[in-house]
Amino acid sequence: MTTVSIRLYAGLQGLIGARDISMELPAGATVGALRERLGELYPAVQAFLPTLVCAVDEEYVAPEHVLRDGDHVALIPPVSGGCACS
Amino acid sequence: MFVITEQPLDPAELVEAVRQDESGAVALFYGVVRNENMGRAVQHLEYDAYPEMALKKMREVADEVRARFPVTGVGVMHRTGRVEIGETSLLVAVSSAHRAASFEACHYAVDRIKQIVPVWKKEVWEDGEEWIEGHVPEIPGTPPPA
Repeated sequence: MTTVSIRLYAGLQGLIGARDISMELPAGATVGALRERLGELYPAVQAFLPTLVCAVDEEYVAPEHVLRDGDHVALIPPVSGGCACS
Repeated sequence: MFVITEQPLDPAELVEAVRQDESGAVALFYGVVRNENMGRAVQHLEYDAYPEMALKKMREVADEVRARFPVTGVGVMHRTGRVEIGETSLLVAVSSAHRAASFEACHYAVDRIKQIVPVWKKEVWEDGEEWIEGHVPEIPGTPPPA
C-alpha cells in the first residue's frame, strides 16, 4: 500500500471539512488514481476535479505521476492570487 | 526578496531589496483590494496560500523574468489572511538599468504570478462569500492547459 497525506486549500478545505487528510492507495498508484478515489470518497469534490491540479514536492505533476509511500500531495484549485485587476 | 506574510506589505523594503547600484529604474506594482467585483460590493478579501510552494513559484517567475528582460533585480511580496478594502495584497518590484525593461518585466511578472503561484482569494460580501477560481497552472513538461 501507498499512504499519502493530502493538504487542501481554498474552497476544497471547506468542501471536505479538513485541512489535511490521508489516503491509502494500492502500491504504484498514480496521481490520476488518487483523483478518482478522492471523487469516490468525497462526491462534492467531483465538480472540481476537471480543473484541479496536484502538486508533489512543491511541483505540479501530471496524472501519470506515480506516488510514493509517504508523499505529501497538495490539491491545487485554479489559483487566484493578487488583485481582481485583470 | 520573496515574501508570503499575514502582515501589511512594505513597498519601501521591497524597492530597496531589488535596487542595485546599476539600476536606473524601479517599477513597483501594487495589487490593491477593491470594493466591488462583477457588480457586487466586496467587504474584504481572505487569501489562502501554500506558502512553501508559493515562494518556489515566485522564484521561478523571477528566473523567467531574468531570462527575458535585462533586469537588475526582481522581488515579490504577497499577503495572506484577511485584507481590507484599500490594502495591498500583492507587491511586485523590478529594477533595471533603463526604464523600458522595468515596465515590461513587471507587467510580465504580475501576469505569471497570477497564473502559477498557489495563492487563492475569497470574496466576502454582505450576504455571502465565494472562493474565486482563477487560472489552472500549467504542469512543467506538458502542454499548457486549454
